[in-house]
Amino acid sequence: MKKKTEALQATNVHKSYGLVKANDGIDLQIFSGTIHALVGENGAGKSTLMRIFQGIEKPDLGEVFVDNEAVNFTNPKQALKMGIGMVHQEFMMAPDLSLLENLILGEEPLQNNLGVFSRINWTQARVEGDELAKNIGVSIDWERKANSTPVHILQFVEIIRLLRRGCRIIILDEPTAVLAPPQVEELFNLLRKLSKSGTTIIFISHKINEVVAVADYVSVMRRGKISFSNTIDNTSISEIAFHIVGDNEKKTNNLKGGDRNIGDILLEINDLSSNTINKSQELSAISLQLHSGQILGVAGVSGNGQIELLECVIGLRGASAGSINLKDQNITQLGVFDRRRLGISYVSSDRANEGLSLSSSIEDNIIAGSHRDSPISNGHTLNKRIMRATAVERLDRLSVKYGNLNETASSLSGGNQQKLVFAREISNDPSVLVVSQPTRGVDLNGIKAIHDIIIDFASNGGAVLITSEELEELQKLSDEIIVISNGKLVGRVDGQNSDIKEIGRMMVVQGGGNA
Amino acid sequence: MLSSYAQKGIGFALPLIVAFLLSGVLLVIIGENPVKIYSMLVDESFGSSRRIAATLSASTPLLFTAVATAICFRSGAFNVGVEGAFLIGGLGAVFCGFFLPVQLGLSIIPIAIIFAGILGGIWLYFPGYLLAKFEVDEVVSTLMLNFIAIAITGYLINGPLLSPTSGNNVTPVIHDVAKLPRLMPPSTLHGGFILGLISVLIYGLWCNRSSSGFESALIGLNQRFSRAVGISVQKTLILVMVLSGIIGGIGGASHGLGQLYRFSDGFSPGYGFTGMAVALLARNSPIGIIAGSILFGALASAGTTIQLFSDIPLDLINIIQGTVMIFAVIEIARLSLRKKIRAEL
Amino acid sequence: MIFEQIIAAGMILTTPILLTAMGGLVNKQAGIVNIGLEGKMLSGAFAAVIISSFTGSWLLAVLGAAFIGAIIGLIFSFTITRAGANMIVAGLGLNVLLAGILGFVLNWSFNSSGTLRMPNVVLLPKVLPEEIQIIPIFGKVLAELDPLTIFAWLTVILLPFLLSNTKIGLWIRVTGNAEKVSHSVGIRFKNIQDFSTVVAGFFSGLGGAHLALFSIGLFNEGLTAGRGFIALAAFYFGRDRPVATALACLLFGFLDATQIRMQTIGLPPKLIGMIPYLMVLLALIISSIRKHQRTAK
Repeated sequence: MKKKTEALQATNVHKSYGLVKANDGIDLQIFSGTIHALVGENGAGKSTLMRIFQGIEKPDLGEVFVDNEAVNFTNPKQALKMGIGMVHQEFMMAPDLSLLENLILGEEPLQNNLGVFSRINWTQARVEGDELAKNIGVSIDWERKANSTPVHILQFVEIIRLLRRGCRIIILDEPTAVLAPPQVEELFNLLRKLSKSGTTIIFISHKINEVVAVADYVSVMRRGKISFSNTIDNTSISEIAFHIVGDNEKKTNNLKGGDRNIGDILLEINDLSSNTINKSQELSAISLQLHSGQILGVAGVSGNGQIELLECVIGLRGASAGSINLKDQNITQLGVFDRRRLGISYVSSDRANEGLSLSSSIEDNIIAGSHRDSPISNGHTLNKRIMRATAVERLDRLSVKYGNLNETASSLSGGNQQKLVFAREISNDPSVLVVSQPTRGVDLNGIKAIHDIIIDFASNGGAVLITSEELEELQKLSDEIIVISNGKLVGRVDGQNSDIKEIGRMMVVQGGGNA
Repeated sequence: MLSSYAQKGIGFALPLIVAFLLSGVLLVIIGENPVKIYSMLVDESFGSSRRIAATLSASTPLLFTAVATAICFRSGAFNVGVEGAFLIGGLGAVFCGFFLPVQLGLSIIPIAIIFAGILGGIWLYFPGYLLAKFEVDEVVSTLMLNFIAIAITGYLINGPLLSPTSGNNVTPVIHDVAKLPRLMPPSTLHGGFILGLISVLIYGLWCNRSSSGFESALIGLNQRFSRAVGISVQKTLILVMVLSGIIGGIGGASHGLGQLYRFSDGFSPGYGFTGMAVALLARNSPIGIIAGSILFGALASAGTTIQLFSDIPLDLINIIQGTVMIFAVIEIARLSLRKKIRAEL
Repeated sequence: MIFEQIIAAGMILTTPILLTAMGGLVNKQAGIVNIGLEGKMLSGAFAAVIISSFTGSWLLAVLGAAFIGAIIGLIFSFTITRAGANMIVAGLGLNVLLAGILGFVLNWSFNSSGTLRMPNVVLLPKVLPEEIQIIPIFGKVLAELDPLTIFAWLTVILLPFLLSNTKIGLWIRVTGNAEKVSHSVGIRFKNIQDFSTVVAGFFSGLGGAHLALFSIGLFNEGLTAGRGFIALAAFYFGRDRPVATALACLLFGFLDATQIRMQTIGLPPKLIGMIPYLMVLLALIISSIRKHQRTAK
């Protein structure tokens, strides 16, 4: 039995940002020469831990060991010297430069010694590049410009760049997010080759079946802790999925309260498909119906199409096929403005950049969207008195706590900011409310308040299409939950009687014919 | 966090203070007393009703160009092409002024002004469209258009529109009925000043009380949010560029019909850019634009006069203006704030 | 004969634009659009005339002009990289400021109003003997050849090499192309940007020196006449590539030379003068449309 050495180890690592505890006592062992997958939802704390490993952040408590030696990184250069490097989701490539130029950036092989005016030794660069590429079994056209290179090749170059700098611990952040299945296989072959030659790989991913295909070890992070860690051979997909979504066995009380009347169909989506733009998930033939009084939850591992689906409904994303009907009217070709007019509202998951204009006043934020509607406006001019009164009324309706209408929205607390967004979106009495991540960054009281808002809205006959990364939240609120995986609708469960294990299993199903 | 009024006040005062300090140093170097010179400037600008009239007269074109620039800056569109719209509109108005038959009487004035506004609007429509639909860099496109405007107007006034009687590169004088009335003869203060004030007023109302003004401010602050609440960013961008062109064109009309009565080389000694300095100083606020325009008008008019009976070159004014422009966009008071933001990334 | 005159005049008029454009494109490659080239050219011209008159050496004058341009460039760069000024506004402001300072000094120290005539100004020497005029077509051009023109064209040849093959060249290109990336590999991109602006200032100073010291030997407030912006147009049109930019400069130089003569044929000179700007506009439109079509797919 080969003795396992720990290439990287975290012991009791704690890290907080303000009130948010990102890492809450992390104990993690990464053995050298292995592929170790790290899985968990957004906000679980994975990025923070990786930043600590890279020396970008320092832990508040706890220790990090590299090759069994305690390290205390104060800057990223030190981590790099110890051989730790990361390939980010957003590639660090200069688009108009060649792959070779990108490869040697920062560590250029030189022909002479004239300081910054030294001449670059391209021959040596090419030799180094080709050799490293050969070692991992790929071949690269080094003269190609980065912006015309397929994404998976860029990824190889990123890895080669790290290898060239002597990295023996390589962290990959969601590497398969932008890859097609055959490219995923290529990447996995490369990773296997690397680990056999002694490189340690940390592989961050949402996609459990991929993890199972390539990793030796898996650790699940949830709410700042490592909730589960094991070798891949000793566990299963469903066990991993279970640990990602939640491990409380008790059934969550559905707040439905029983008495809501599910009425007519308000929103009907038929075979909706949309294309990938800028690494977004594409949607394939999604069909669903939303009734008045109904709260329909959309579950899925994040990045599988939930947000894209909601964006299609409000009109921020175009459909490539299929149709969307609101109360028997085909709205597929309509823009956001018209859909809002017809009665669809949208609570974005990106509160800071899309749900609110943080540097605008509270008044402007609550009125935006209605600034051409009567009685606030006659279509062209604003009636400031009515505008102000409406603002106050909307804010009070949902008990948003604010100081002065003229203060910027950034002055509000997270919970009140979100309440403001809801106040704005339900103020026009829409028929359909589309909600994404309703309680992200909101405190407990705020969460309760927002859940009440959503349920009230449905009780009054509105229809809600909601997605959340907190599965329990969906269980609490939804009448029915549909599950999306890889842009396809793969399952449907009853909200009240749902079983987390079952949902978790559906979430990792690759809908239709993928390896 | 200071209130936005206080912030705007500091934003207005600080670059001016730096500019006056810098020129003060220069004055000291050449052996003059800055305090004496500055009080001369103040006296020359506001010391009598005739002088005030001269100041206001000099600030008239700036009212238009500052508003025109502010409309775009406020929406995040970096339009530096107001100078071109001013010229095109100005020539168009002057053309109406001498070409339309005298029999039309006083109605020539509104016709000329409207014509100028239309020309200016069309002129800046193109870069606006290119920006909205194809993300063409509006700085370079409008900068180039300025030079193109200078070339086109230069060609026209030396060719088809050349005055048959007087010299080179100048149009005929407009008919008397086309001239804007003088407000305080014998000074050159003319009706265009009132028009300018009205433009600022309309700008203020538009910003605060109109739905499109509301929208244009929002797209300048957060385009994604604007889209999510149903605003068409493309349409709004085109709108503000066209409005900017219209105001710029009307500014040229006011200058041609009220001040110069003809169009020649040097019709605009950089009013577009001075207007930009005013808009930057005023952070796009209407009151600030009036204050800034009067300030720069004072500098220009007083500076010209002082040059006649002292050794102080008019270039001092340029030094002040250039310094103001640079310091208006430096983030001095916010340096520490920016460091903090960087750290969080 | 006229043809030869035009070629000669064109080449001569090209040099100042070419020098400035070379510096400007290096600046742009590092990510800074230098709108203040005009002011730096003017300052260089001013410095050149004065230094030439005082020292009797054209070489010192040229170096002095470049140095002045470089210093101004450095200070200007600091306002952008360290004090966060918007580069467009700062550039426009710089032009106004420099014009003001120069006019001020002109008026005050030299008691002149717009034109500076200094005694004993040494002009740029001609490098080749007069007899070379005999060579057909290019004879006149060669006879007028001066050191700065040679330097300018040497730069055109060397710059592509320097940009592609040296460490600093690579760093400049990364900084301009993807600031984030350069930061992530530890490149001090602010220093790189400052350096590139100093280069731009250096070359604009040389351009101004040529304008002043080629044939007239005097300084005039309107000497640059928008050439700083023509240089900008040239490297925008040439997509920041030295050779393409140089060709654009040649074209603009020839347009400049033929402008006056065009009038005799009946073509309006003013409209010819706008061709560079029109070209840039069209090039900008075409490239943006292409980029748009690419991302739409």
